[in-house]
Parts: sequence; C-alpha cells; structure tokens
Amino acid sequence: MLKYALKRILTFIPMLIAISLIAFIISINAPGDPVERLSKAAGNEGSAEQQSGASKKIKQELRKKLGLDLPIFYMSITDIASSDTLYKVQDKYHKSNLEALTHQSGNWQAVSDYYNSLLKLQDAHMQLNAKDIVANNQSLVLNDVNESINQFGFEVGSLLETSKANLVDLKFEKMYSLLKNNPFLNILESDLNNTKKSRENLLILSTKWKTYIPAINWYGFSNQYHMWLFGDGSYRKGLMRGDFGISYIDSQPISTKIWQKVGISFGLSLVSIFLAYLISIPIGIYSAYRKDSAVDKGMSLILFILYSMPSFFVGTLLLLQFANPDNLSWFPVSGIQDPTTFDPNWGFWTKIKHRMPFLILPIITYTYGSFAFLSRIMRVGMIDIVSQDYIRTARAKGLGEKKVILKHALRNSLLPVITVFASIFPMAIGGSIIIEVIFSIPGMGVEVFNSILNYDYPMIITVFTLSGFLTMVGYLVADLLYAVVDPRISYK
Amino acid sequence: MQNTNENFSFKKYAWNQFKKNKIALVCLYLLLVLVIIAVFAPYIANDRPLYAVYKGNTLYPALADETRTDSIYNKQGDFVQVLQYDITDWRQLDLTSVVWAPIPYSPSSMDRYNRDYASPSGKQRYKNPKGEIIESPSKFRHKLGTDGIGRDLAAGLIHGTRISLMVGLVSMGIASLIGIILGALAGFFGDSKLKMPRIKYYFTLFGLFMGLFYGFGQRKYALADGFSQNFGSGMLEMLYSILLIVGIVLFFRLLSRLLMKGKLKEEVSVPIDTFVSRGIELLNSIPRLLLIITVTAVVERSIWIVMMIIGITGWTRIARFTRAEFLRIRSLEFVQAAESLGYSSMRTIFKHALPNSLAPVMVSIAFGIASAILIESGLSFLGIGVPTDIVTWGSLLNLGRQNLEAWWLIIYPGMAIFLTITIYNMIAESMRDALDPRLKS
Repeated sequence: MLKYALKRILTFIPMLIAISLIAFIISINAPGDPVERLSKAAGNEGSAEQQSGASKKIKQELRKKLGLDLPIFYMSITDIASSDTLYKVQDKYHKSNLEALTHQSGNWQAVSDYYNSLLKLQDAHMQLNAKDIVANNQSLVLNDVNESINQFGFEVGSLLETSKANLVDLKFEKMYSLLKNNPFLNILESDLNNTKKSRENLLILSTKWKTYIPAINWYGFSNQYHMWLFGDGSYRKGLMRGDFGISYIDSQPISTKIWQKVGISFGLSLVSIFLAYLISIPIGIYSAYRKDSAVDKGMSLILFILYSMPSFFVGTLLLLQFANPDNLSWFPVSGIQDPTTFDPNWGFWTKIKHRMPFLILPIITYTYGSFAFLSRIMRVGMIDIVSQDYIRTARAKGLGEKKVILKHALRNSLLPVITVFASIFPMAIGGSIIIEVIFSIPGMGVEVFNSILNYDYPMIITVFTLSGFLTMVGYLVADLLYAVVDPRISYK
Repeated sequence: MQNTNENFSFKKYAWNQFKKNKIALVCLYLLLVLVIIAVFAPYIANDRPLYAVYKGNTLYPALADETRTDSIYNKQGDFVQVLQYDITDWRQLDLTSVVWAPIPYSPSSMDRYNRDYASPSGKQRYKNPKGEIIESPSKFRHKLGTDGIGRDLAAGLIHGTRISLMVGLVSMGIASLIGIILGALAGFFGDSKLKMPRIKYYFTLFGLFMGLFYGFGQRKYALADGFSQNFGSGMLEMLYSILLIVGIVLFFRLLSRLLMKGKLKEEVSVPIDTFVSRGIELLNSIPRLLLIITVTAVVERSIWIVMMIIGITGWTRIARFTRAEFLRIRSLEFVQAAESLGYSSMRTIFKHALPNSLAPVMVSIAFGIASAILIESGLSFLGIGVPTDIVTWGSLLNLGRQNLEAWWLIIYPGMAIFLTITIYNMIAESMRDALDPRLKS
C-alpha cells in the first residue's frame, strides 16, 4: 500500500505542472497590465511632469520586482522572423504591436528600426514646451499650442500601438498636416521624416517568408514561470517554498490573504458535509430497507426533485422567505457578523454564538447541495448491496433484518460515500463561489470571485494549483480509505 | 442499432421500457413544449403586433425583419410617416385592427410607465393611443411583473428558454464530439493496439507540431480578426485552421513513406489510452466551475463563447463512458468479425462499434445538458460570461436577489431553471433505466 501511495504521489508532479501551466497560460493572456494596476493602487502625488518621471521609475522597479522583465517560459515557439529579445520591451501594448508588425513584415531589424525611430520621435515631442514656444512667438495662443502638441503626442502614442496599415497611413497624414499648420512643430520634422522612412523600409524590406519557418527559442532558467515556482533567490521564495507571490489588488502576500479567508469556507463545508451525512445515511438505509414501499417511492421522488434544484435558487428563496422584512425577518441578510457589536477579542464560543444566526441559512444551502446527492448515492448503493449473495447468506442463517442491514450491509454501502468526503478539501480552498456571493460571506469563494473580476492572477493561479493538488490528495485519500474499509480491495 | 432478429429490436424494447415510466413520459412532452416555446419565442413574446392594419395598410411587424423600414401611405396615396419597425411604439399607433402576440412585450423593451418592479398583482400603468395614462388593460398587463427598468418578466422567461435550450444543445454537442471520439479511440485501441511504423509515428507527431504552428501560430492574427468581426467569420477562420492542421498531419504521414526502411519500419504502439486518460484526470482535478468562471472572465463576453467553454470542459464524463463501453465491445464477436473481414479500424469503430455503444453515452449526454444549463444560469446569476443586454433566466434571478421585494423575479426564473433541469434529469434517468435494465435502481 505504501508503495502504491508513493507511486500515486509521483504522478502528482506532472499533473501539478500541467495544472499550473494551464493557470499560467490563462493568466498571461489576461487583459490589462498588472504594473499599471499596482502603480495606480499605490498612487503618488506631484506635478504632471514629476509624476510621469517618478511613476516611470516606480513602474520599472515594480516590473523588476514582479519578474515581468523576464521571458515568460523556459522556451518559446515562434518563427525565425521574430526576435528572441522581444520580452525586454516593457509596455504590454507596444509588445503586442511589435509582434503584429513582425508578423506582417517578417523583418525584425526593420521593425525595431521603425520602433526606435518612433520612440525617438516621442522623446523629441516630450521636449517641446508650450510655454517656451509662446514666449518666443507672441502671436501664438497658449491653449492652441498646447492642443496641437497634445494632438501630435496622441498620434505618436497610438502609432506605437497600431499595426493596421491603413490606420498607420492615416496617422502619418495627420501628423504631417499638423506640422504644416503649426510651424512651431518644425523641430520634429527630421524625426518624423526618419520615422516615415523607416516605415517605408518596413514595407520594402519585407521578408514574409521568414514567418513561415518555425523557431524554438531557449531562455534558460531565468524566466517568469521558473521564478514563480522556485523564487529568484532574494526577493521571492517561490511556490515550492510556500510563497505564492503578492496580490495585484492590494500588494498583500497571497498566502496571508488565503489564511485569513480559508477558515470560514473550510468550517462551513466541514459542518455542512457532516450534517449531510447525518441526514442522508439514515434516509438511504431506510429507503433500501423498505424498498418499493410508498415511503421509499415518495422519498426518492422528493430527493430527485431536490437534486435538480440549483443551490443558488434555494439560497435566494431562503433569503426571500427568512431574511426579508416583508415575510419573516428571522436572520440577517448578509455577512457573518454584526460590525457594531462584534469584538475580535471574544473567545471561540462567543464568536460562534454571535455568528450563529448569520450562518444558519448558508449552512442550510451548503448542506442541501450535498444532501440530496448523497442520499441518492446511499440509497442506490444500499439496494445494490442488499441484493448480493452474502446478504442472502446472512438472512439464510437466520439473522434479524435489522442486524443484516446495520451490521452487514451498511459497512459496504458506505464505500461510494467516501468519495464525496474527498471533495471537501478542494471545496474549502475554492470555496463555493455562488453560495458565498449570495450570502456575502467573506470566505475563499468571494475572494476568488473578486480576484477573477479584477484579474488578480497570482491569486487565481494559486487557487487553481492548490485546489488541483488538494483534489488529487483527496482522490488518493479516498482510494486508501477504500482499501482500509474494504478488504477485497488491495493495491499490490 | 440493428435488428438482432426480425421481431425484436432493442430500440423498440427500450422505448417500451421508457414509456412505462409515466413521469418520464410527461417530462418528454414538457420538453417538447419547451422546444416549441424556444422556437416560436419571437411570436409568443413581442412588442410588435403579429398582424396590424394601419391607415389601410396590412402589416405583419412581428414576422418581418427587425430593422425593416416602411414608408406608410394612406388610402388617398398621401405620405403619412416612415415606420422603422424596431423603434416604433406600436401601442401608440392608431391601428384599425390588430392581433398582438400572447405577451405583447419584447424581453429587452423597457416599459417606462411600469419601472421600478411593477408587481404582477399590483397597479400597472398604460399609455393609450390617445396619450392618456390609465390603469393597464388586461391585455397589456405585465402578467408576471417587471424588473427595475420596466422589462417584462414573462417575455424575458420566454426568450430565456431559447438561450437555455441552446446552451444545453450546443455545449453538449461540442462535448460529445470531443468525448465520443477520444473515448472511442482510447477504448478501442487501448495502449497497445494502435500500431504504426516508428517513422510514421514520429512524423505524425512532427506533423502535428507543424500543423499547430501553421494553423494557430501563423494564423493567430487571421483568427483574431475573424472573431473581432463576428462569431461566424471567426468560426470560419477556425475551420480553415483545423483543415490546415489535418492536411499538414496527413501530408507528413504520407511523407514518412519515403523513409520506410530498416529500423524505422519497426512497428511501435501508440499509448493513446494513456494520453486520453491523463487528459481526463487532469481536467477532473481542476474545479470545473472555477475554470469556467476564470476563462469567461478573461475572454470577451459572448453567449457562444460561454457555450464553447462549457463544452470544452465537459467532455470527460462522456469520454469515460464511451471508453468503458468500447473496452467491453471490442472483445465481442461482431467487432472481431469486422476486424477479421479486413475492415479498416476507422470503419470498425464508427460504423460497427459506435452505434452499439451509444446507449450509456446518450444518458450521460442528457445529464450533461442539465448540468450545462445549470452552469450557464449560475454564470448569469453571478453576472459574468453572458453579455448584460441578453436576458437569461440566471440574470433575471440575479435581479431578484438584489431586490428581495420583487419576489416574482426570484420565483418564476428560479422555477424555470429548476423545471428544465428536472425534466432533463428525469429523462436521463429513465433513459438509463430503459436502456440498461442492469442499472435500474
């Protein structure tokens, strides 16, 4: 058995790698730039120019801290036209634009020339100062100058993010007309001409054939995925050493966030599974004992109907009936505690007592979900076993029906129920999103839901990987329990 | 399923067994009703009349294209006005004769006289063609109430039927396609029966790599452009990509014949069962709802994409059943007979083995439809995935949750979801009992 367990644990490794890869792939395709979001959350004061300089620096540091300046994976599969240093470009939108341009022309050198000339143009544009221009030329109005400069800046900025040929031509046209109408922009002319020329080069020197030949780039161990797994040696410890990274929402460590929330979800699922067992096992036994009686038939129909009732409907119905001033206002509508009277220094039992009314409806909804399912499994399993030979033998040797059912049949019919127990660990980490959202319970479900809505990917990857791991552990535990309960099963 | 002898057919037997369960039969009829509602939804709930006579012109607004525009002339031939069908308020027109749809509202049309959760039993207001605001006549009452912005609940439920049934059908269609093919291959060939020359195996893998490179890597922008236009052209591009991949793989397999000699010619077995089983295990160890919610949050909001995601994540059960059935069937005489007659594996699998293994698969498809509908309504309930302007049962229920006073927004959509799921589950269960008496509980 130990050998079997070890063998199974070994198969966890490729599985976990695959799960983490799936989560990772989803996360790098997520919209938005995490650095922008984090630096926005930090938010700093200062004048516009200062801010742009300072925030640029902060962003660069953040990027480095999060490891976003590294290649994504150990290797990448591209075509020979693409550059293997593209990951060094910091801006996410610029990066994808460069990729698209390379795909169009197949000539990375020309693309990078074009990009650099655009950046140079942007730099030159940044040097412009509306106040100086107005000071030198009294006939101009400050607002008009400002507007033209801003417009030019906008065109340059959007050129950096556009690859569609007709749009690019349009932008160039606009910039030239701006130049013509506003002589004070003439300083930019040489840079603009350079850019235009490199853009034309891009079209002339196109080597489209290069995009048809695949190339495999190898980046070595210094990449985001590796760093996420093993850490970077100083700042991050890596998943393997229990560091899940920091949240993009509030820069808190993920592990702290999970520890804060997992207790309530785990408690709820534990209590509800326990309750579900408590109700469903007797029901299953009784139905099997009185098979095909009116009670059994009615019960199985009711269980069937309950089984098809979505838990979010049940939860909402409970709220409608029992937490609604129009009907019965027995329970509070949301949350798990009353913020005005709750005292975090209370002892465990006082806290439970305080939270009880808040938790009754969620527990009913939680229990409900597994109860109908469990009872049905229990009943079918029991009926299956009652028709087996050894039960007939037990009856034949004159044992009472009670003893046959409770002593001989029950033990074996518990087998399928064990499988359900295996699912409660992953349920705790992922939480039941829907139920927690309905009752506004601050557990893992709501946490995960919020991080999905806010694209907080470190959190999502962590939950994915952890729940995958726990599911596999659950399956393993269930298999081993099977062997313990049922001597017929052995893993040799 | 072929006749085993002249008088006995398994199909007939199963249907007779199925008919014995009266509740299941009722469910089958109810499903038929749901399908009819879904198909005729635009004629059951529509704020344009089915038939109207306006200034001597006979019009069929509900049957016409939504954006149709007509210039209306009166009997004397004078121009009266231009009617654009979807923005005209037909209730305000002076219609000489009119037949309204049973529910004279569209799911997304907002009745501004009955905003703020008009109760089905409470007072409802109506503006008649003379422009007076009066107590709503019974024809124009919102019989199941309205939501916060005055949308009719009954119309929403009718059109929601369409979406729910479609979700079940499309997503399970995708799932069964993937599940049946993979399960059949895994079960039929196992780990050792699919043999090919070593060189062909390597070339197939290499061809797959090249195919993915050209089909998805190279055509990345073509695909993205297609999907950004509309779903149809995106799918067309997708089809091109898939054809390209298949073509490239076949090309490389042909190419391998040139090198068919010596050690390269040795037969090796392809562990296809291991591939499929590991895939199933992998997908099963990720919580499905979490995966679906995450992916729907990343991609664009679209009902089609939601269906695709539900389908792509939902094939494992079907594959498992198909695989198990094929494991059993491949040792039966008729399959062996087909093999000894020298039929190709593909012909044996799809023409002989598959029709005889579909029964348990059908059951799991029917259960799958119920769970797909449940997942979609759960997603809409959470407010993700499906675009906000599409009214679904789940999104209606969500509106009710946010305002508990509007009990009709909780009870009716909830009952609709619950009934549909019950119907599918009931049909699936009695199908299981009918098709395989051994499983009967």
